[in-house]
Amino acid sequence: MNDPLERLRIPIVPIAPRAEFADDLLRRLQGTEPRARDTATVRYFVDDLDAAVTFYRDLLGFDVELRPSPTFAMLYRGDLRLLLSVPGDPHVLPDGTLPQPGGDNRISLLVDDLAAAVAALRSGGAQVRGEIGGGVTVASALLQDPAGNPVELIEPRRGYHERSRRGAELRRPQRPSTTTKEEPQ
Amino acid sequence: MGIGTREQPSGDDPVVAIYRAALPQVYGYLLPRCRSVDVAEDLTAETFAAAVAAVRRGRVGEVTVAWLVGVARHKLVDHWRRVGREQRGLAAVRCTQDDADDPWQEVHDLDAAHAALWRLSVPQRLALTLRYLDGLSVPEVAEQLGRTVHGTETLLVRARAALRRVYEEEERDERSA
Repeated sequence: MNDPLERLRIPIVPIAPRAEFADDLLRRLQGTEPRARDTATVRYFVDDLDAAVTFYRDLLGFDVELRPSPTFAMLYRGDLRLLLSVPGDPHVLPDGTLPQPGGDNRISLLVDDLAAAVAALRSGGAQVRGEIGGGVTVASALLQDPAGNPVELIEPRRGYHERSRRGAELRRPQRPSTTTKEEPQ
Repeated sequence: MGIGTREQPSGDDPVVAIYRAALPQVYGYLLPRCRSVDVAEDLTAETFAAAVAAVRRGRVGEVTVAWLVGVARHKLVDHWRRVGREQRGLAAVRCTQDDADDPWQEVHDLDAAHAALWRLSVPQRLALTLRYLDGLSVPEVAEQLGRTVHGTETLLVRARAALRRVYEEEERDERSA
């Protein structure tokens, strides 16, 4: 049967959508990844949220995900989610004191070229404590954020061990919460 | 200068793989049918969100462009049904049985015929889009619309007649202009 309306057929010709739309869509799709469960979350207390957000965003490459109030921000760097909080009522300890920024516990961020990273950070105004040091398996440097929280940068050396994502998935049922990372001495 | 190390999406991420393989095809399916960048973008996003959810639930063996276009078609049908509900009561182009009985010999101006679709009621436009723009069979159109085959045939006959009336009206207007 010859139906004249068959001529109305529109074949599928690929059309590239707007780049902004395409990028945004990819981000949204990736944002729904179940892998988000594997995000490691660390909270740092800071006294000046603006200064802290600027430091982590501009000097360490974090993405600012949320900043819903003057006392809280959520940032991401790969699978690390960093919560920045200005100490306040929600954080009051049983003895009435508030948590303070600083201390010696720290997050460690992996870099490919520690010397170049430290030079770039110094020229960007970051405070680097001492010089590049480290142990057998990593070279490391310690900087501090504007509130005085330490942040460690590590560059792997020979023998450095990092559990592969695949390995982590295979082992998770037996060892739900461990991570393996060589520490500097 | 900082030390930002934003990761590039890896090639083996299933979501990224789906997206890279089929975004232009899905958008290329939707845009000419929607005739609106905003609507085409919304439906493209809905299509990929649904596709990713289905893949994660393990409901899809192999993701192909054809399957994704099928998901996009469902989204288009849903969208036009929503629009149709909102516009119910607006005057659609009326046709008589005489129109329906008189066969349409030839479509000279495809652009005008495609444009004329947009002057039809939403159910008529939807039925003709699926049947002719997409090339589905009548039973396939019926399945998409959730109607019986007989009901779909009736809808298509009326929709064809309405399309022809609008098309010929515009052709006459053009000639007399």
